[in-house]
Amino acid sequence: MQQPPIQQQQQQTSSPTEFLNNVIGRPVLVKLNSGVDYRGILSCLDGYMNIALEQTEEYVNGQLKNRYGDAFIRGNNVLYISATKLRE
Amino acid sequence: MTEEAVPVVEPNAVEEPLDLVRLSLDERIYVKLRGDRELRGKLHAYDGHLNMILGDVEETITVVEINEETEEEVIRTIKNTAEMLFVRGDGVILVSPPSRTGA
Repeated sequence: MQQPPIQQQQQQTSSPTEFLNNVIGRPVLVKLNSGVDYRGILSCLDGYMNIALEQTEEYVNGQLKNRYGDAFIRGNNVLYISATKLRE
Repeated sequence: MTEEAVPVVEPNAVEEPLDLVRLSLDERIYVKLRGDRELRGKLHAYDGHLNMILGDVEETITVVEINEETEEEVIRTIKNTAEMLFVRGDGVILVSPPSRTGA
């Protein structure tokens, strides 16, 4: 199924929950309070902002440090979730 | 007698993040903790706080030391093992099934 480009979706976003629902199944960048970044496909999240990611890459100081097929991130560590473009 | 339609729930589906942890029960998992600590062990039990009981655990602590003479950073790892471990959930950063991480 072809999804509309993310820019179009962002225009429709009128609440944080709506944004999160829009980015499920899409590539995201999750930054933790520690500064570590995770890039992956957002599988799902819950009210604690616990996150399940697929095809996860862990970046420390911008450098790829680890890959995880699936990853659960505990919500209290999350600083932000950013919608990203597909990796080339 | 009432017959209610029982919703068909795919037991292996990941609908909420904790399902990932549930599907890892009795599997060896990788846990990243605060304070540059990592655990690898078999997940026996967990709860919503991510408190966990792990068995046959290997703990890896990463320490960055600075050599006073050369002022170079030396990365040192310390390994511990435990037969059975209770992990308090608030220290958990990330949980992953290690079979798929090559660990």
